[in-house]
Amino acid sequence: MGNSVASVANQARSTDIDFALIGHQESWRAAADVLAVLRGPQHTPIPDDEIKDILPWIPPRAVCHVDVGSIVGANARGLYIDSFIPPDRLEAAYVHENIARVRAAAAYAIKAGAKIVSLGGFSSILIEGNFDQLPQRHDTVFTTGNTLTVAFIVQGIKQMCALEGRSLSKSTLLIVGATGDVGSGCTRCLAPLVRRVLVSARNVERLRTVASDLQAEGVQVEIATDLQRFSAEADVVICAASLASPSLLLGRIAPDAIVCDAGYPKNLAPSAQMPGAKIFFGGLGQITGSMKFAPDFDGILNRHPFPDVVHACLLEGMALALERRFEPFSQGRGFITQERVKEIERIAARHGINLAPLYNADGPLEDARHCHLFSP
Amino acid sequence: MEPLASVRGNSPMECISLSTTAPIWQDILAQAMTGEILAAMNYASLSEICDDPAEVADALEHAQGERGHAAAFAAEGGKIGVGATNNVDAKHWKRLREAFLRCIAERDFIACLIVQEIMLESFAVASYSRVGKVAPGSLGKTFARIAAEEEDHVDHAMSILRAERARDAQRFDDKVYRLHLDVMTTLARMLARECKDGHCEVCHHTCVKPALFDVSLSAAELRGASLQQYLKTLDMLGIPGEVTLAWVTQLPV
Repeated sequence: MGNSVASVANQARSTDIDFALIGHQESWRAAADVLAVLRGPQHTPIPDDEIKDILPWIPPRAVCHVDVGSIVGANARGLYIDSFIPPDRLEAAYVHENIARVRAAAAYAIKAGAKIVSLGGFSSILIEGNFDQLPQRHDTVFTTGNTLTVAFIVQGIKQMCALEGRSLSKSTLLIVGATGDVGSGCTRCLAPLVRRVLVSARNVERLRTVASDLQAEGVQVEIATDLQRFSAEADVVICAASLASPSLLLGRIAPDAIVCDAGYPKNLAPSAQMPGAKIFFGGLGQITGSMKFAPDFDGILNRHPFPDVVHACLLEGMALALERRFEPFSQGRGFITQERVKEIERIAARHGINLAPLYNADGPLEDARHCHLFSP
Repeated sequence: MEPLASVRGNSPMECISLSTTAPIWQDILAQAMTGEILAAMNYASLSEICDDPAEVADALEHAQGERGHAAAFAAEGGKIGVGATNNVDAKHWKRLREAFLRCIAERDFIACLIVQEIMLESFAVASYSRVGKVAPGSLGKTFARIAAEEEDHVDHAMSILRAERARDAQRFDDKVYRLHLDVMTTLARMLARECKDGHCEVCHHTCVKPALFDVSLSAAELRGASLQQYLKTLDMLGIPGEVTLAWVTQLPV
């Protein structure tokens, strides 16, 4: 233990940090696994009830170093910073406490000297409309990572349609969470490719405003106020709502509908009965160069059935660091355009960051060797 | 960063009648007095290894201050009709004193500051602050005042320790880690939700921890707040957060 701690300390001192990833754990199980790695195999694991007592008190801080390598030989060094938002406190009731945690995590990233910071999962949701609440520092920039998330959701939809032999152009697309940055970005990118677009969100007034803005841009959408009714009409569904836990029920979904759950945390309730629906987890990318954690959190921080798969919101910062483009690529809400999506896709692909093989809660949906049909 | 779960009944006006909770405050005061007397002993010992007369005077002044804190806690016990007695020979406190005396034996001034100001004071500042928020009347005010004074001690030591770390960060961090294993392991056992090693020898009857809920406190909250304060203090020293996180997660629970 002493040696490993000393070596990490040495690394922390000697390394220039290119990027930082701010994330949080989606479940208590995931949090327990992170603490188990930190505690080491020589110690008995912390009991689950003790973890729930201890974790909320941990101030945001780095958990490990992350080194990524590109397929064209570029390298970038980073930190994974956990905000330690307790998994059961992602709800709106804790918004002020959680924003404070993200701010503290951002301050940590700045102090560590990160040139670009990606905001993962709820960190991004909390901050996308509140960038002014982040600490200001000219040599550290922040990105929500939402543009690459949109890119991989769109690629995933195309991939799934190809796997299922569907024609996207004949589809009715329903976007749940359409008022968010990711939801509206997906709408802009996919609307020209499908027959009909239905948009849904909890806040109907805001939905009307977003729909009106999209229509002004030439994107034709219909407001789906009754999710139960409209979900039956859609044969392609993107779930991009900002939900604290997997609680979304789509109701009478169309038989054989393709459903992309793009939430972090996931949107769809495990109890959702959708017989025949083809569900996949969207917004995930895979690093085909290299990714190394120190200490080794492989499979703990990236809990996916395929290696080196990461949420695209975090990958965006890594891709930009590999490209040496330290700029706030995704900020605010409602600014994701097709052109920006193409641009970040090109940057990511140049460094070997591509759509991850598709999978869902039951496991892989395709042979990993046959993926990337739609890589740009 | 304070968990919302801990925000409950913070107004002294909401506190339960002192007559029913006096035995709980008696044990809380006994623990606090023991900590203060131990701190006074530590500073007195520290004065014996200081070369600079100003440092000697400083250490003796701190020792006097800690004795004053112990007296203030004893006086608060008197106000609520309980006699709070300290026991620096109680098993956990004795171990903490022995750890400090090893630093004295090595004439390691910096190690003494790390143990007293970073480790023991983190525990004191955090736990007194929590108690200060829920304890009624002058009892609460005394805990809050002493928490603030202890925090000033930490600030004073911080500049010396930062300068020391700037000279050789690796050597400094290794020293903190060695002391962490010794001192924080004992503190973690004291702060555990349940005393698994038997009676602590400070509480007057049975362990006070299960009764803390009756005064809007909990052992888990005091531990969480103390470890949070400790991590933040280590951050201020500049020790990498991923390193200190591993240290803390490896402590006994």
